[in-house]
Amino acid sequence: MKMILAMVRKELIDAARDKRSVMAGLYYAIGTPLLMCGMFMVLIGQLSSPEDLHITINKADNAPDLIRYLDNNGISHGEGKSVKAITLTISDDYAADMAKAKPAEVIVTADKSNEKLQKSISRLERNLQAYSSEMGSLRLIARGVNPQVMAPLKITVHDQSTADSKGGLILGIAIFTMIYSVFISAMNLAIDTSAGERERNSLALLLSHPMTTRQLVLGKVIAVTCFAMLGLVLIMLVSKVAYMFVPWQELGFSVNISPDFMGLMFAIGAPVALLASTLQLYVSFMAKTFKEAQSYLTMVLFVPVALSMAATYNIAPHVLEWLPVSGQQQVLMAFIKGREIPMLQLAISSAATVIIAIALMLGMERSLKSEKVVFGL
Amino acid sequence: MLHRMFFPAKKHGHQHTATRTLTSLFVIWMLLIAPVSSAWAQTPLSENAQQPPLTKQQLTQPCYLKGISEQLECGKVSVAENPQQPESKQIDIHFAILPAIKNRYPNEALLAIAGGPGQSAIENAAGFNRMLNKVRQQRDILLIDQRGTGLSHKLACEDDNMSLLNFNDEAVNIGETTQQCLDEIQKKQPTDIHQYTSTTALGDFEAVRQYLGYQQLHLYGISYGTRMAQLYMRKYPQSLKTVTLDGIVPMQQSVIAIGGAIERAMTLLFSDCANASACQQTFPNLKQDFDSVDAKLAKAPIKQQVRDPLTNAPKTLLLTRSKFNGAIRMALYTPNIRALLPHAIHQAAQGDYQAILGIYTLTADSAGIAIGMHASVVCSEDIGRVTEQMRKDAKISYMSGNMLDGLEKTCAVWQMPQVDTDFSLPISSDIPTLLLSGEIDPATPPNWGAMAMEKLTNAKHFIAPYATHGVAYQSCGNDLIAQLVNGVNVMDIDGECLNKDVRRSFYLNASSVEVAPHTVTNPSTSQDKD
Repeated sequence: MKMILAMVRKELIDAARDKRSVMAGLYYAIGTPLLMCGMFMVLIGQLSSPEDLHITINKADNAPDLIRYLDNNGISHGEGKSVKAITLTISDDYAADMAKAKPAEVIVTADKSNEKLQKSISRLERNLQAYSSEMGSLRLIARGVNPQVMAPLKITVHDQSTADSKGGLILGIAIFTMIYSVFISAMNLAIDTSAGERERNSLALLLSHPMTTRQLVLGKVIAVTCFAMLGLVLIMLVSKVAYMFVPWQELGFSVNISPDFMGLMFAIGAPVALLASTLQLYVSFMAKTFKEAQSYLTMVLFVPVALSMAATYNIAPHVLEWLPVSGQQQVLMAFIKGREIPMLQLAISSAATVIIAIALMLGMERSLKSEKVVFGL
Repeated sequence: MLHRMFFPAKKHGHQHTATRTLTSLFVIWMLLIAPVSSAWAQTPLSENAQQPPLTKQQLTQPCYLKGISEQLECGKVSVAENPQQPESKQIDIHFAILPAIKNRYPNEALLAIAGGPGQSAIENAAGFNRMLNKVRQQRDILLIDQRGTGLSHKLACEDDNMSLLNFNDEAVNIGETTQQCLDEIQKKQPTDIHQYTSTTALGDFEAVRQYLGYQQLHLYGISYGTRMAQLYMRKYPQSLKTVTLDGIVPMQQSVIAIGGAIERAMTLLFSDCANASACQQTFPNLKQDFDSVDAKLAKAPIKQQVRDPLTNAPKTLLLTRSKFNGAIRMALYTPNIRALLPHAIHQAAQGDYQAILGIYTLTADSAGIAIGMHASVVCSEDIGRVTEQMRKDAKISYMSGNMLDGLEKTCAVWQMPQVDTDFSLPISSDIPTLLLSGEIDPATPPNWGAMAMEKLTNAKHFIAPYATHGVAYQSCGNDLIAQLVNGVNVMDIDGECLNKDVRRSFYLNASSVEVAPHTVTNPSTSQDKD
């Protein structure tokens, strides 16, 4: 045990000496939440319809009352840069058709595939529809009919989502970046301590000490895991602060990284960090040089990324909830949405994570006994 | 806002026809009437369904309110019916919270106070939610059913609209029906009607605030709710951060003086039509049209065979003078129904009462008013403040004369102790206060707002030129409220946006507001246009 601790200390001191690579490993944890926040701020600005929506209105004179109604709801004719590419044309027969109680035509011209316009287009349509049914109601009143007759169904919706769960997709992405940070933060150290040591030929020296390969592997795994967890803690702290500045409320929900969530994330993240470090150490030990290990890892990392992504976008949820990484991610998302935490899934996916990690450690232990690996033959 | 009027109250038996008269005729209607809108096609209307309590929240439980699909928080506080005897009968004061989207100020909330007197704030949650959505971004919205209304020990009598069309509302014995209503309330549950005044109810509001742990409240009072807000300013100024009064009833004013406002709003309707060329050309003699129908009905009610506006069954319509005037008065509250009035009046002058019938059927319902609570408030706080001058003024106009007469008969039965003279003193306060008045308001005219300003040292009064009753619902007034709540100095608030022309064109026939080209002859009016 003492030996392992000494080993961990040695690894951490080693890592800390190389300040640049330490920072490089942690850049991700600090930078990602900030980048995401910037991205979301821009996205929210683009997706939400501006308070004053300027569009092009042709032949506004044909329907002054409608134009005033739209204006009162923030939709008006505009000129210049702020004008959205939506055109509303009032037909020439508008007044004549209205007087005869025939449907009077208004034409909305816009590209509905343009995501930046979608909200504005549906807002315009909604307002036109509202004006239309308001007039419909008044026409009925003028004819001595209660407009209530137009609503045969009383549709009552009881929406069970909460302000937090509406932000689920965003938080899913946030959780994804956090889980990924475990892998990324550990990467540099994992390579340096394995392939790096091989490259520098210091691995053989290390093995010549009176210690078992198991102790050596454990020491390295623990050191790298610590680093991974450091990255996780860092990204959570940065996220907590950064996400507060994004105007989520404009999208009608809140994104709140609560201390409870952070605690759960830390607990669930521990086995994932173990997996991340063993996986990356295992792969790096197969490489002879730092560069080689880097290129392997990029490929290998695709697996946890894919699992995590699939969980974020809810692809094949029934399979993913039992697998490592994706299983834990789904548990975290359930927690955020205020649902019950699926304990069985959590237990199984965490157990699977740990089992894989142990298997990888045993694999490493075996491979380090081979001279081929130690001397890079 | 108020949707109840489209959805008549539960029908029970056939004996209570006359109680409706109380509601439809003599209610002061210091409240908000929902505009005609697409909401009819969509507005879901559920009873306030309370779900079984969850352990998550200790003070409240999740609930759904009508017209809002998302889950909200509801709860109640038990208070003594008579605060002087805390050990005596307890009543539950119900409240609802529309939780902030992003709760930046958990120690603050905006308390929205409904009108009436007698309206339920919780029942009108959907309207408050829409209007106050900017405030809700960062703060909870708190709605409390004032005692005697809604879920909080409602003092109401069963309504029945079986013979809405053909009963003679002018022949009703008001004293007798009021007595019936009082007996009905007492039979349901022995009640001390003296405890349902504004001052007593104010203590409940403060109790709810303390129960929920809000340090300070922002107030929004609409109509009669402004009286509650002003009393709050007087009694618990330390609990308030800002106040918005919309459709102001100043403390100095008895609501019964509403007659002048109705007359004024009618005059403005006539002049608005005369100033709009299309309306002027189509209905050049609008005032005469109105006067002729009014005079005809003053002689005798008109009896006609009509179709029931809802069921389409053949019915007899007995159009009385008070029904006609009442329908028009209610239409004046809502800009889009108001737009139909010139056509409706003109058609009535031609002997066609369809449009009047349509408006009447919308407005004749009680709008969810708790008539007992209404009487407790008005008979204690307003009837005693009617002066000789007001009585004289009231005699001039049919509407106000009729109303005063009805209320006096009601209050003769609904015996209430009178408020003391201090009650009528203007509020003196330096709490940031925003006052909103609508120029064409048929209930609380702009000069009432000016009256409320008298001793407010940190207040600003805006008059929205095109708004009726409930400025924040009809203009950018709600943006001004959001600014005030978010800490903008009340003196720096710019009300320029209120001047935006949001008028609705008058209907020129039963179908259109736009002037048809010359080639098209207008099928539904006999007027020539050139």
